[in-house]
Amino acid sequence: MSPTTWGWLVLAFPLAGTVAVALGWRALPGKLPGWIGTGAVFASFACAVGALLSLEGREGEEAKTVVSTAYEYANTLGVDANLTILVDPLSVFMILVVSGVSALIHLYSVIYMWEDRGYARFFAYLNFFVFSMLLLVLAGNFFFLIVGWAFVGAASYFLISFWYRRRTATRAGIKAFVMNVIGDVGLVLGTYFVFKHVGTLDFVAAFEKVPDEFAHNDGDLVAGCILLLVGAVAKSAQIPLHTWLPDAMEGPTPVSALIHAATMVTAGVYLIARMHPLFEQAPAAADVGAILGCATLFVAATIALTQTDLKRVIAYSTMSQIGYMIMGVSAGAYAAGLFHLMTHAFFKALLFMAAGSVIAAMAGIQSLDRMGGFRRSMPFTFGCFVVGGLALAGVPPFSGFFSKDEILLLVGDRGGWHWILYAVGYVSAFLTAVYTFRMIFRAFLGDSVPEARELEGGHLHHAETPVNPMTGEEEDTEVGFPGPGHFIAEREWPMKTAMAILAVGATVLGVLQIPHVTHVIDSFLEPTFAGSEFAHHEPSDGLIAFGLVLGTVLALAGIALAWFLWVRRPELPARIRSGLRPLYELSFNKWWFDELYDRTVVRPSRAVGGFFRERFERWVIDGALVGGPTGAVRGGSAFVRAIQDGYLRVYAGLLVLGVVGVALYFLIVSA
Amino acid sequence: MPLSLLIWLPAVSGLVAVLWPARWAPRVVLAGSVITLVLAIGYVASFDRGAEGLQWVTDETWIAELGIHYKLGLDGLNLFLVLVTALLFAAALLHANLREWERPRLFFFMFALAESAVLGAFLAQDLALFVAFFDLMLIPFYFLIGAWGRGERVRATTKLVIYTLVGSLFMLAGAIATGVIAAEGGGELTFVLSDLAQVQLAEGTQQWIFLCFALAFLVKMPLFPVHGWMPDGYRAMPLPVLAVFSAVLSKVAAYGFLRVVLPLYPDASVHFQELMLLLAVAAILYGSVMAFTQTDLRLILGFSSMAQLGFIVLGIFALRPEGAQGALLQMVNHALVVVPLFFVVGALAARAGGSEDIRDMGGMAARAPLLAATFLIAALANLAMPGFANFVGEFYILLGVFESKLAIAIVASTGVVLASVYMLRAFIATMHNRAGSRAESRELSLGEGVAIVPLVVCVLALALYPQLPLARSEKSIDASVRTAQAVQR
Repeated sequence: MSPTTWGWLVLAFPLAGTVAVALGWRALPGKLPGWIGTGAVFASFACAVGALLSLEGREGEEAKTVVSTAYEYANTLGVDANLTILVDPLSVFMILVVSGVSALIHLYSVIYMWEDRGYARFFAYLNFFVFSMLLLVLAGNFFFLIVGWAFVGAASYFLISFWYRRRTATRAGIKAFVMNVIGDVGLVLGTYFVFKHVGTLDFVAAFEKVPDEFAHNDGDLVAGCILLLVGAVAKSAQIPLHTWLPDAMEGPTPVSALIHAATMVTAGVYLIARMHPLFEQAPAAADVGAILGCATLFVAATIALTQTDLKRVIAYSTMSQIGYMIMGVSAGAYAAGLFHLMTHAFFKALLFMAAGSVIAAMAGIQSLDRMGGFRRSMPFTFGCFVVGGLALAGVPPFSGFFSKDEILLLVGDRGGWHWILYAVGYVSAFLTAVYTFRMIFRAFLGDSVPEARELEGGHLHHAETPVNPMTGEEEDTEVGFPGPGHFIAEREWPMKTAMAILAVGATVLGVLQIPHVTHVIDSFLEPTFAGSEFAHHEPSDGLIAFGLVLGTVLALAGIALAWFLWVRRPELPARIRSGLRPLYELSFNKWWFDELYDRTVVRPSRAVGGFFRERFERWVIDGALVGGPTGAVRGGSAFVRAIQDGYLRVYAGLLVLGVVGVALYFLIVSA
Repeated sequence: MPLSLLIWLPAVSGLVAVLWPARWAPRVVLAGSVITLVLAIGYVASFDRGAEGLQWVTDETWIAELGIHYKLGLDGLNLFLVLVTALLFAAALLHANLREWERPRLFFFMFALAESAVLGAFLAQDLALFVAFFDLMLIPFYFLIGAWGRGERVRATTKLVIYTLVGSLFMLAGAIATGVIAAEGGGELTFVLSDLAQVQLAEGTQQWIFLCFALAFLVKMPLFPVHGWMPDGYRAMPLPVLAVFSAVLSKVAAYGFLRVVLPLYPDASVHFQELMLLLAVAAILYGSVMAFTQTDLRLILGFSSMAQLGFIVLGIFALRPEGAQGALLQMVNHALVVVPLFFVVGALAARAGGSEDIRDMGGMAARAPLLAATFLIAALANLAMPGFANFVGEFYILLGVFESKLAIAIVASTGVVLASVYMLRAFIATMHNRAGSRAESRELSLGEGVAIVPLVVCVLALALYPQLPLARSEKSIDASVRTAQAVQR
């Protein structure tokens, strides 16, 4: 079969799964909705492998870009919006990562979500998300890229607000949706700027025309690329459109693992990689992307240092890691950025799954202040968390070490001001090791909390009255709450299997790309990035060695510092907090971005709305502007009622007479 | 098959209903509207998309002395508007069949007359005939609101009448002036649109006539700042009446710009382009901001409609084929999505003790997944999420504006963001969060489902294949915009 046939099948399975689960939600017994959803995504992964083999079987670079159109979707007046998919090494790489990680997270969720009243709804949404994400990466033109882009945003909204009786969840949902729509609008406007010159929405045709239609740093192209960046930044939770991601942790933990760590939030990285012919012709815009990525990776790392909510720490870490990827692909390190996207998908999904297991053991509580000593009662979860943590911190030979260093290596190799990015990247790598192991040490070492002791005694803790972990509010247990029972990885084979596979991946995937040893990712993606000016860049051996050593030293130093602060001398952090008050406040309050937006956007627009509603509408629209007619009406209606006793027909008669009279008058006068 | 059949069939069914026993009236008129819908589907199915110009033309001399013809015809501009009108009237009549009405014969007669008037306005190819149908629309609605409305219906009705009557009179004057002045050069007096389009009016003349028409159309939509009748009117109308009023009547006005104003007054359209674009942007922003401060669901939808109509006007006055194409598609989309939304409002009110205020609602999704799903789909369509035909419409509209006035396109695109705020706010406040004090969660009844679900299915079908209307309107759109675009160059 041709690669595109496989591509269509990749899309078809999760869509069919969505429809089957959504329509059969009441009829499907037991865990069947979960298994249908999981099966659909595994089938999709199998087809992605089929696409890989089919594509690899082809000879030559040209043959590795295959396009297939299903039908003309909205193709008139030269706007060629067709339902087209593009299968090339980049999209195959993405569908493999997306469907593979999704399949494992589905498997985990089959058990993890079992007690939830919205079990079938959850899998319908989750399958819809996978379909949307695959559509996003397979889209062969700007139009369907935008469609997939918005679909994943909607799926993300559905799942953030999944426990919809919680006000915190619905608020987080609308925040995420609106910020993502800002990104969608950026994408649409960016598309216009490109379309205006190349006259087509099709990727292959548009990219071919870029060198002819646009001069180097052409104004329209830079504007277009910056607008595309708005889309990327909103979706990938980069500064300044990042504030939705920590709140998105309101969703169930598998959702955080899948959508808000492994796949959807990396869409911005994919976007820049896909649009590289545009960004290379508009390096000014690419530089903006690199700087935003760099700022995000640093800011998010500093925030993660002081947060106490387990999931939020991981969320800020996600922001930070995506910052590395965005910086990488913006600086031309495409394969490295995508390599990190892949390894990150593995270790971050693993971390979230392990966190989910801990949160289940805590019966829903997420605060690190309340946790401790779980290493004895949950050895498997502990092991997975450590593997994920080592990969995240960048300790050799775990996967994250190779992929992160590859990005920084290539960024540094650009020289000039890129050295600043390089330095910030390594400083943040150190912070990453610190906050990662702060989390691990606080949750798993130290004295056992009551929940951990209960578990050591063989009993999984249950809360008497479930409460919303964010507000302490008692849960509305009718619907839309996590359910009375909890499941930990130690006791359930599907959760354990999913985590074990991810843990193996997080450990060994780094071997795919080791400088001077292997270059699987580079050579696989080669056809997509062949035309790039950064395609054949070889950094010096000295820089490579320096980076590898520096990365190792910083990661180990960070872990050592975390160990010293939170295990050896646990009274120290409090002293540091009071000693460095302003810095602590900055980090703990997340650099006050939320407060800034509240003061500058939310409150003013609410005030404007209130003004229009209470004053303008009443005085101007109803009063002054139409004061004549409506004033007369108001005064006259009593009179009218008196005469006609509310008989509306007379009114209508008068109306018709009036119209006819005026008509006749004009006709007579003019004739 | 003559188009007159399509127009007058509803009115005839209304007359039949008046003559037969009262309990049959709802069924008879519903049957009439369903047959009309079948006819409309037949026209769409046999429409020749390759042909230019009008199809199935009926052209009779009506008033020879005045050069007024009874001329009807279908082309890409009105084909899908006619279809969606027939569909939505059938749906609204179905909804109206679900409850008892006082004096049912008169109510359903008026409803049927309204359908005939709207279809007539869409099909008329003579300016005087268009004006006649346009004014005829007002009469049944005047009765429907005044006699069967709720709350302060007298005030609402008089406001509506005064607003629209003033608009109509200006339009009448403009129409007559067009015919008369066009004949001044020695030609014969005629009101047939295709003949009038051949005559080039002086620019100054075009300008004041343009303003007359624009006022009438803007009031009918309504657009900021001539929407003073809207809040009272929306609150007072019976729900099925409001659904078709909001869905279809506003589109007659927008359609009027494409059918009459752009081809007949191209110089004035270019002259006032920026004014119209600014009004449209104002309507988008004002409507959106108002929609997210209101708590009455009807007014949320009312102001949201204003914002959507703003987009439609924006597309038309981009004076680019892309913009007008998007505007036309958006007319169909908005009509198709606002009716199920109003029906959902009715269903919600039935579950919240009759209140239509979102503060009395909440948590209603719990035991009503179908209700929640239909509301969510319609809400996402209305906020023009990509993947829905509404997005295709906005994509074309903004593309047209982008190519003619970049800055306005960028300002208008903030309306897309605001739409997501007010639609989701309405959805969350009713379906999610804690259960409201008066709200109960109950699944759609069979009747409600039969009225709502098929329309939502239509929304989804159009989302899958917007090419269906687009391919058929391409040529007519180009013809409508061509003259004005040529003037602009």
